[in-house]
Amino acid sequence: MSITIKTLSATCPACGLLCDDIRIEGATAHNACAKGITFFSQTFANLQPQIAGKPETQEEAIHRAAEILKKSQRPVLAGLSTDIHGMRALTPLANKLKADLQHMNHASLQRNMQAMQSAGWFITTLSEVKNRADVIVCIGTDVVSHNPRFFERFVWVKDAMFTDPNTRKIVYLGGEKPDTTHGRKGAWILPFKAADLPDTLAALNALLLNKPLKADSIAGIAMADLQKLAETLKQAKYAVLAWAAKDLDFPHASLAVQQITSIVGTLNQTTRAAGLPLGGSDGDYSINNVHAWQTGKVLPDLQDAKPDAQIWVNSYNADAPPSFCHTPTIVLGNANTSWSSHADVFIPVATPGLDCSGTMMRVDSSISLPLKQVRESGLPTLADVVRKLEALLP
Amino acid sequence: MITLLKNGRLYDPAHHKDGVPQDIYIRNGRIIDKPDATEKISHVYDLAGKVVMAGAIDMHSHIGGGKVNIARMLLPEFRTYTEPEAHICTPHCKHHATPTTTETGFRYIEMGYTAAFEPAMLPINARQTHLEMGDTPLIDKGCYAMLGNDDYFLRLLHQKADQKTINDYVAWTLHATQAIGIKVVNPGGISAFKFNQRKLDLDENNAHYQVSARDILKALSRAVHELGIAKPLHVHCNNLGTAGNFETTLNTMGASDGLPMHLTHIQFHSYGTEGDKKFSSAAAQIAEALNKHKHITADVGQILFGQTVTASGDTMQQYLNSKLAHPKKSVLMDIECEAGCGVVPFKYKDQNYVNALQWAIGLEIFLSVEDPWRIFLTTDHPNGAPFVSYPHLIRLLMDKTFRNEMFDKLNLDAQAMSNLKSLEREYTLYEIATMTRAAAAKLIGLNDRGHLGVGAAADITVYTDQPDREAMFSNPDFVFKDGELVVKDGKVIKVTWGATHTAKPAFDRSVERSLRDYFDKYQTIQLDNLKISDDEIADNGNGRIINQTID
Repeated sequence: MSITIKTLSATCPACGLLCDDIRIEGATAHNACAKGITFFSQTFANLQPQIAGKPETQEEAIHRAAEILKKSQRPVLAGLSTDIHGMRALTPLANKLKADLQHMNHASLQRNMQAMQSAGWFITTLSEVKNRADVIVCIGTDVVSHNPRFFERFVWVKDAMFTDPNTRKIVYLGGEKPDTTHGRKGAWILPFKAADLPDTLAALNALLLNKPLKADSIAGIAMADLQKLAETLKQAKYAVLAWAAKDLDFPHASLAVQQITSIVGTLNQTTRAAGLPLGGSDGDYSINNVHAWQTGKVLPDLQDAKPDAQIWVNSYNADAPPSFCHTPTIVLGNANTSWSSHADVFIPVATPGLDCSGTMMRVDSSISLPLKQVRESGLPTLADVVRKLEALLP
Repeated sequence: MITLLKNGRLYDPAHHKDGVPQDIYIRNGRIIDKPDATEKISHVYDLAGKVVMAGAIDMHSHIGGGKVNIARMLLPEFRTYTEPEAHICTPHCKHHATPTTTETGFRYIEMGYTAAFEPAMLPINARQTHLEMGDTPLIDKGCYAMLGNDDYFLRLLHQKADQKTINDYVAWTLHATQAIGIKVVNPGGISAFKFNQRKLDLDENNAHYQVSARDILKALSRAVHELGIAKPLHVHCNNLGTAGNFETTLNTMGASDGLPMHLTHIQFHSYGTEGDKKFSSAAAQIAEALNKHKHITADVGQILFGQTVTASGDTMQQYLNSKLAHPKKSVLMDIECEAGCGVVPFKYKDQNYVNALQWAIGLEIFLSVEDPWRIFLTTDHPNGAPFVSYPHLIRLLMDKTFRNEMFDKLNLDAQAMSNLKSLEREYTLYEIATMTRAAAAKLIGLNDRGHLGVGAAADITVYTDQPDREAMFSNPDFVFKDGELVVKDGKVIKVTWGATHTAKPAFDRSVERSLRDYFDKYQTIQLDNLKISDDEIADNGNGRIINQTID
């Protein structure tokens, strides 16, 4: 790894929080969390493209990829772990190939989109959380497993405009072994399995609506505790109900999201509250947004797709295995892709925010920030490779 | 390379030309004087008998940015056809309410529109807005940045900051977000709703900041005026959609102490409380006031019947409207201590009393405001109707018989409450050219657009004069964009990329010091990352910036 510039400020795309207070000094990324440090210190195992695990020129590799795609009847563009510009480059290729699209976070993305498309929602963004939230309920998630600096940057801050940050109430509602240490000493932990969230949230909403419930407990949580939570929410000036759809990994999880939406709706009749649907990143919100403005629709969820070739884009994710097995696979992505030798064609490309500039959308889906190039790797951009590939296709 | 458009009848209100036969010469995308006889003319179009106008300009249309994209995500049913191959597209198709960026460019240019302006760009969301516009082909575009509910500005007002500080902040915002104008939505109300205030009138205080909507309008209209940008403050008044709101609207006209203001989608702000249903037309009062107050301009925000989606920054009012959502779902958002948004799908029905009257109110305003230089043709796309319905709307304005036939089909109670049939006026081609071209360019400050004089950009639309004005305006014979023929017989024949128009008035850059402190303390991005660089807009080689500010 060769750093060409001594110190510079950078924006970290590793988890989707887009921390833009990072200072790169030599090999050190100041202010970065563990995920950020890993991101900025990654080396590149492969600079050279491969065909079936053997080093080849870029030209040969692109030719081989084109051959595979020419034979394909039902290709898919999957993974889609890239930034906004990467996705804009992929769209013409997808159109030319009439390829289906699927992001590696399709399951969690779908949970949120299904819930939103069936009932809508009332949501908020991170600066509102920072300045306004007096109660934060982490639903089925500890947030920090995904977004390590969430509490540091948006909760336990020195200054907030409309609330005293030190008196914020943090509640952990369900989830699989959440790390609750970041909620600090006063945090209130109501532990139960994430799969019990739809029932628990429905009961909480009933209590908020003053509907009597006969049970003494739900999912092991005493009704008195749920009642107390209902009161806390009603008393809050601005309650934030946060969830990470990735952590709601159980059947019909979009029902839990709908229940959260209902609770927010109930609270907003008398006070103020909002949901905070945290994205899973790998650029998922960026890709979904670009796809929406270019096609008028959200990214599809290809449940029964049986593609006969796939292009796997994994700029941010060296380890995620491709979505579709037993299918000719062309990888355009991270230079450290751990299974690159198993791909039919592997072309390492620049990672936006590291090897090239880019633009990405934050986990709250309302802010997009520029990503800077912080090192000189000589890797081609995804757009470069895609344009060359596209030119070889009929 | 000179192109000659000869023998056309020019409707060019900026030069008082009302159907005057005249030749137009084009070189390098600009209209030029008649060249020397020695110069070679490479293309000649004989437009004998044809109607020639500058390309039309939509001065208020939600074509980019977060809330439009939320509408696309929320409403997959708008774009689902049972038999996609058999789909025959009409202006009534639901997908026009949530067009893709490509469709936006295509449908506009196919109607002879060569520019459209996104009126509600959140500064913090400017990057996404410009990215979407960067993917919108053919037309020129631009944005009005939303201020007036952002906590930085409200703190300034609360602290009684001097006007210069406010002016510098407004100018900084124009530069940073690459905007051409400033908009305020429900002044103070979006912020107030975050503090659980449910209503805000012109002289009511935002309870937290103890500043009124009037204070906000006064400060912002003055800032815009003193900075010297052309586009007057774009005002979405308080109390949108509420019965009796016309009084707020009338009072708002006086809030700027005579400085220019533009009241947008004024139809939604022209409601009285008369009659059994306590909902009536106040179009007459509003039109009378508009005729009197020469410093005020307005666009109508006409509604047309059918399914659409309303996308607004007005969280406070959209929260109320969400009860009327059709289909029954909506997205509401508080956004980044700046503003908010509400996306509520809506179906306007001609047999519904309120909807029928809304339709009539819009037309009453169009026909009662005398000066076409101060009233603009909009549907507040997609809020009143998708922009593809403009040719239909133009026919309603130009054809009294057609208009009255439509009126006769309305809900009978609504008919009884409207004087529309007594309005005899029919807009002329010259007046249509004024409101959709010359006046729009003048209002926004597009010096080289909206007219056909020498030096203007050759954005030119050619129509066949037909009695059916809807057919005429749906299907131009030719559209030239920057001198290139891009539409023939109503269909795109070449894809080009338009420019982004901006205004960049001079200002004192030291304003950034306190802004930077505020960002470091309270916001969640670095101040410098809010700024949209010229390179970002030029990014893929398709974009370019035109700064319309004359130093």
